[in-house]
Amino acid sequence: MPGFFREAARRVFAQELKDSNLTSRDESDQYAPQYVLTPTGAKVNRIFLVGTLIEKEDIGTDSEYWRGRVSDPTGSFLVYAGQYQPEAAQFLAECELPAFVAVVGKTSTYTTDDGNVLTSIRPESIQQVDELTRNLWVLDTAKQTLERIRAIEAEEDQNSKLAKEHYSTDTVYYREIVKKALESLKERD
Amino acid sequence: MKQIAQSIRDRFLKLGIDVPVEDVESRLDELITKFKVPSNEAQRSVTNYFLKKYSIPKNEFYTRQAEPQLTKIMDISENGQWANLKAKVVQLWENTHESISQVGLLGDETGIIKFTEWKNAELPELEQGESYLLRSVVIGEYNGRFQVQLNKNTSIEKLDEAIGVGGGDFTPAARESELRNISDLSGGQWATVKGKVVQLWENSHESIEQAGLIGDPTGVVKFTNWASSELPDMEEGKSYMLRNVVVNEWGGKIQVQLNRSSSIEELDEDIKVGSSTSTYFGAMVDIQTGSGLIKRCPECKRALVKGACPEHGKVKGEYDLRIKAVLDSGTSTQDILINRELTEELAGLSLDTAIAMAADALDPGVVLDTIKHELVGRYYTVTGHKLDRYILVDSITPKTSLDKEMLDEMLALNETFTKLEVQ
Repeated sequence: MPGFFREAARRVFAQELKDSNLTSRDESDQYAPQYVLTPTGAKVNRIFLVGTLIEKEDIGTDSEYWRGRVSDPTGSFLVYAGQYQPEAAQFLAECELPAFVAVVGKTSTYTTDDGNVLTSIRPESIQQVDELTRNLWVLDTAKQTLERIRAIEAEEDQNSKLAKEHYSTDTVYYREIVKKALESLKERD
Repeated sequence: MKQIAQSIRDRFLKLGIDVPVEDVESRLDELITKFKVPSNEAQRSVTNYFLKKYSIPKNEFYTRQAEPQLTKIMDISENGQWANLKAKVVQLWENTHESISQVGLLGDETGIIKFTEWKNAELPELEQGESYLLRSVVIGEYNGRFQVQLNKNTSIEKLDEAIGVGGGDFTPAARESELRNISDLSGGQWATVKGKVVQLWENSHESIEQAGLIGDPTGVVKFTNWASSELPDMEEGKSYMLRNVVVNEWGGKIQVQLNRSSSIEELDEDIKVGSSTSTYFGAMVDIQTGSGLIKRCPECKRALVKGACPEHGKVKGEYDLRIKAVLDSGTSTQDILINRELTEELAGLSLDTAIAMAADALDPGVVLDTIKHELVGRYYTVTGHKLDRYILVDSITPKTSLDKEMLDEMLALNETFTKLEVQ
């Protein structure tokens, strides 16, 4: 399949994803993937996160539609699974709270009437994992976020420049977030 | 255009016919300029027109026309050109296509060229080492190289004299290709390689004797030993010298092929296979369909799709376990293939247990679910040989501890940067 490639699953902390409101999509192609550009310049279509599932609720009216809240050291992600995500929906229906979960999914955005952009995740897979995996993810995500912050400061590539232009990214703020996340790992010693 | 017209006129003059050069030229001009016909096609068409007009049989024309002019191999310079050659058959090759009756190399004092004799030419067989006068052959171009084609209009006459072949001692046996490192191989050359058979594959086609991977300290490459090479089989784990193999490129990958001109010599030494093995670290983000408990064709070992083998149709499959997964580093992804042994180890599940589970649930999907549950979302390091987009996994290790040093380092580094910014 020439031209086909798998989107890498980006690593972004919840707080940063929540701060994101810039979406982009090739309008000429209706099957083109939609991306969210985060303040540190991650161009996210697929995302991988490991955190703690702390809430779940069936918010569906006719059929089951599950909303789960997964927290990381900086905030929380919202995960929505309905009939088109049967495995993930089944997992949410059956699992006990709280639990460490690994989620692979696609980001989707919703713009409210007053112009706020809400980002949620449509899971391709949710699996229960152990605490070690969660800690590994925090370290991994911290590392990749720091790398992006460095690129922003150097205005290295297209995504960094675009992110800086749109968000006027305060890198000190995002370094603080990374610090908070890393320190949470220290406390567990 | 004037030149072509003149040459046509000259050829007819030799037969004692004076065709008006203006007529030739205007006909050529119409074809070439107005109808965008290639010049050699136009030339042929115009020639045929005059042949018809003066009722000259085509065969006679071309033969007689060709007689006096002999082309030397070195002088061959134009695609589509007709030529007469006096040459020796230096080498006959494997016939690769049913529409070809013979293929090989012709040589004369000036050089060597590939020839192809088409089956529908219905010509007598050429013998290796004999010399011939070949009338009315066509020069073709393929992959930037000229070759000679023998077709229906060609005639062959065996010569008593032996034609000397330029380049001196060119005989297949005397010319041994250079010993090369596997990592240095590039497409379109002959080479000799020394390596260890790393892996033998299930044979997928009857015209293939053996296929697999051979490696030396610099890398690993796919090899194919054609059945028609009549060479002995090789054994996995043993080292060999493969002389005169053809190196080519397919789908962006280098591979080597053994044919009738190649030879295999078993070596006493054990050649170390270098690490063209890849290592990849990432989170397992997907396990794809076709993983878990699968059935394979008993003939060719390929995975069955809906109970049928793509080659052998409906067969009673044999159970196997495997995983096709995707690892993801956050900036790139890597497809990996995990064999039964490693799958059993990773999932803590033997093939027999898996078969029993599937039987209980009346669904082989439960095995896949179990494997997904055990593996997806976790971080792994894999090593193995790269093949196309996959790494064939030799070892897979889950990450079992948090790198505390890295954590401290990152905290310290972040701290410095934050301070700098604030100042």
